[in-house]
Amino acid sequence: MLREEAKAKLDQAISLARGAEVEVMLGGGSDALTRFANNEITQNVEERRYLLSVRIVEGKRTGRATGNDLSPKGMAQLIERAKEATRHQPEIPELLPLPGPQTYRTVDALDPETERLSADARAREVGKAVTRCREAGLEGAGIYEVRAGTIGDYGEIGPLAIANSRGLFAYHEGTSAEFLVSALDGTASGWAGYESHSARGVDGGALSSRAVEKALRSRDPKPWDPGRYTVVLEPAAVADLLQDMSWISFGALLVQEGRSFLSGKIGRKVMGENITIRDDPFHPLHRGSPFDAEGMPTLPTTIIERGVAKSAVYDRQTAAKEGRESTGHGLPVPNTYGPIARHLVLEGGSGGVEDLVRRVDRGLLVTRVWYTNVVDPKTVTLTGMTRDGLFAIEKGKVTHGVRNFRFNQSVVQMLNEVEATSAQESSGGVVCPGLLVHGFQMSSATEF
Amino acid sequence: MKDLARLAIDTAHARGASYADARAIESTREDIQVKNGEVGGLDLSSSAGIGVRVLVQGAWGFSATDDLTKEGVERCAASAVSIGRASASLEHDDVRLAPEPAHRAVWASQCAIDPFQVSLETKLGLLFRIDSEMRAVRGVKNAESFLSFQRKHQYYLSTEGSDIEQTLTRSGGGFSATAVSADDVQRRSFPQAEGFHQALGYELIEGTPYVEHARRVAEEAVALLTAEQCPAGERDLILEGSQLALQIHESVGHPTELDRVLGMEANYAGTSFLTLEKQGKLQFGSKLVNLVADATLPHALGTFAYDDDGVEAQRWHIVQDGLFLGYLTSRELAHRVGESRSKGCVRSDGWFHIPMIRMVNLSLMAGSGSLEDLLSDTDHGIYMETNRSWSIDQLRYNFQFKTEIAWEIRKGKRVRMLKNPTYQGITTGFWNSCDSICGPEEWKPWGVVNCGKGQPGQVGEITHGAAPARFRKVRVGVGYED
Repeated sequence: MLREEAKAKLDQAISLARGAEVEVMLGGGSDALTRFANNEITQNVEERRYLLSVRIVEGKRTGRATGNDLSPKGMAQLIERAKEATRHQPEIPELLPLPGPQTYRTVDALDPETERLSADARAREVGKAVTRCREAGLEGAGIYEVRAGTIGDYGEIGPLAIANSRGLFAYHEGTSAEFLVSALDGTASGWAGYESHSARGVDGGALSSRAVEKALRSRDPKPWDPGRYTVVLEPAAVADLLQDMSWISFGALLVQEGRSFLSGKIGRKVMGENITIRDDPFHPLHRGSPFDAEGMPTLPTTIIERGVAKSAVYDRQTAAKEGRESTGHGLPVPNTYGPIARHLVLEGGSGGVEDLVRRVDRGLLVTRVWYTNVVDPKTVTLTGMTRDGLFAIEKGKVTHGVRNFRFNQSVVQMLNEVEATSAQESSGGVVCPGLLVHGFQMSSATEF
Repeated sequence: MKDLARLAIDTAHARGASYADARAIESTREDIQVKNGEVGGLDLSSSAGIGVRVLVQGAWGFSATDDLTKEGVERCAASAVSIGRASASLEHDDVRLAPEPAHRAVWASQCAIDPFQVSLETKLGLLFRIDSEMRAVRGVKNAESFLSFQRKHQYYLSTEGSDIEQTLTRSGGGFSATAVSADDVQRRSFPQAEGFHQALGYELIEGTPYVEHARRVAEEAVALLTAEQCPAGERDLILEGSQLALQIHESVGHPTELDRVLGMEANYAGTSFLTLEKQGKLQFGSKLVNLVADATLPHALGTFAYDDDGVEAQRWHIVQDGLFLGYLTSRELAHRVGESRSKGCVRSDGWFHIPMIRMVNLSLMAGSGSLEDLLSDTDHGIYMETNRSWSIDQLRYNFQFKTEIAWEIRKGKRVRMLKNPTYQGITTGFWNSCDSICGPEEWKPWGVVNCGKGQPGQVGEITHGAAPARFRKVRVGVGYED
């Protein structure tokens, strides 16, 4: 939806509120996804939808109503429901008034060609990928997904535009393209992925070739004993671990409530000196939204700088508690979760993962991880599985496949044990390098 | 809405679809949270739209829209057909749908007290009473409680003549207390993690003793900070029902989804160790283990009259006397396991997502005796209660769970509270080690409301009935050995 159209819609909603303190959020867009398995297309879908969320503020009371009927009648009903919700609840003493107008940096994130990419064009790239798998005698499975707007991975909808009765207006629309492919040979598998704001770099054949090479190499994996290993984590694996750490650690409310490993440690060294973590929607590999769900500008925020804990990310409420400014990481108000970091960047070095492998005398190469979950929040100990290519590294070379492991590993400890990093990539919504890490805890084996 | 569904399938058919179905859905939700004496969230939401699924030249296409004008629906149906043509442009085996009679029906889940007619004051009043009880306990950092209500009204029409109207109302609620120290975060929840949900009206909330348990639960959260660490090693393990429900979900439900077994989830959630040659042959669990799939279970989250393939709800054994018998199937895949009719396991989480195989209610049948009987019969073991985290590998062999709390059992008695209880195992070995299951008086239909599957991701809701059960020599204390 174009900026002018979005603004007109939100202005109309504000006028329908007839002088009430109101915040209106518009979200949505399109999500088209071609899914393939067993070397054929198994699902092929497209959704187009928008929703409007209205929040009324009456002094220290606030209530929200959300719906997808964007007609004047539908909007008026939403406003009435939000007013009704507001009227019948007790005051929230710490509730802040709506913010006034803000200024935002522009992010060039909309690629018109990507927005218009057809199902036929997606099928052509998928065709190249499955042809490569078929030629190798493997089964190809994966997705080619193209999005415009703010529909999330599980259908959740984020803010495309926000306005309020104090004159604030924010708008950002971006596109994204993601191609993921697994090549399978029985229980052996390989994987490769690509993500960007633009579909122009998608090459289904080349990605499939990488997945095929990994799958063929991972055949007949040998069982290794559980234990602590030197590992090379490819960017996809690092991204998964960082994302989980962020969810349970980097938000100011988590820190203020004592639930984060950063609680009481701001200003102290918590990781190795070669670790710097930021949240930055303006990174060229992110091109994220320049504002949050309160309409506040999102500021690039350094969370860890050369191993020292610098700052959490803030929304208005948590910032007010410490007498500082929001960093623009808020969720829709009110909420119980607090602010979150949405555009993680782990600084990297140069070179590829293969350069990290060359430095290892004996260890493991981890392609990606799966089903990570929190074991211990204060040490950021996560469990999860290796997946789609676990390999032995011997004397600087990848030698053979290894049966997958379950790990139980503190990510904080891991980031104290990083010997080297590769160049950054974008994977799973995180910009990060591959890592060469010592003492990674593989805790139990599985059957393949 | 029904007329729009008719328009969608007629348009798709006219444009060349050999099969089409449409789901026109209106849904309403109310989510209320209270945290530490304040309203933490209050959202009244509604959504209406239509999803059109077609077969063109033997391949699937799907499109969804919230543009509910005649032109918008026609455009959506046309889009589904052109997407289907794109799917068919690659080499493929034609989709063959297992036969199903055309059904004409109207069905609604039971709802004695409409939750959307109960006042916000009443709901907030309950949450603030729970909140106040929890915060009366010294040491509680966060007291959080919630209520959640949803109604989905759906028309399903297909070119085969099915015309089905279904209305599902579900209610749920729960609370948790969190206690924090310099190096520890402990949580206790009631009635289960993520709350207890059923396909019922507000009568479910009125019948649940939230306030009565709030103080005890909060006290346990605080006590956990100074409780001893769960030891590491092999122990006899007794799982409380809601934790066992998630164990069933992860290690029985997902690996028996036939689309997973056949590789259709390979790139995302993975495949399954329960490959086709194991059907009817694999001793999945001990002789005590009977697992029943049942889309007719009263008040359950995975209960309906017809699934989103238009197939009638059914009940059957997945595992009988420990033997692995069958899969969760669809009309598309039933023939792959030699079945002439789908088991009716296809659902979608909304009008905007394509239906796919999802678990129906899957329960462990009760044995006999009470929980106290089972604990009394345990010489040296650990009793674990309420899920805190979960993980399982991409073939569903190696799992690891953490619960909120545990007690060490010595000579039939709870001798000490333990914190950070974890256990890990391999699916078939674990279920074969089951040597006791409590009786019907301990059996409860626990709900799971956060089941993720598919791309784009969909969130499923299912009930898993279970009573506490014992498993011999399970590895516990994983992740805390160092």
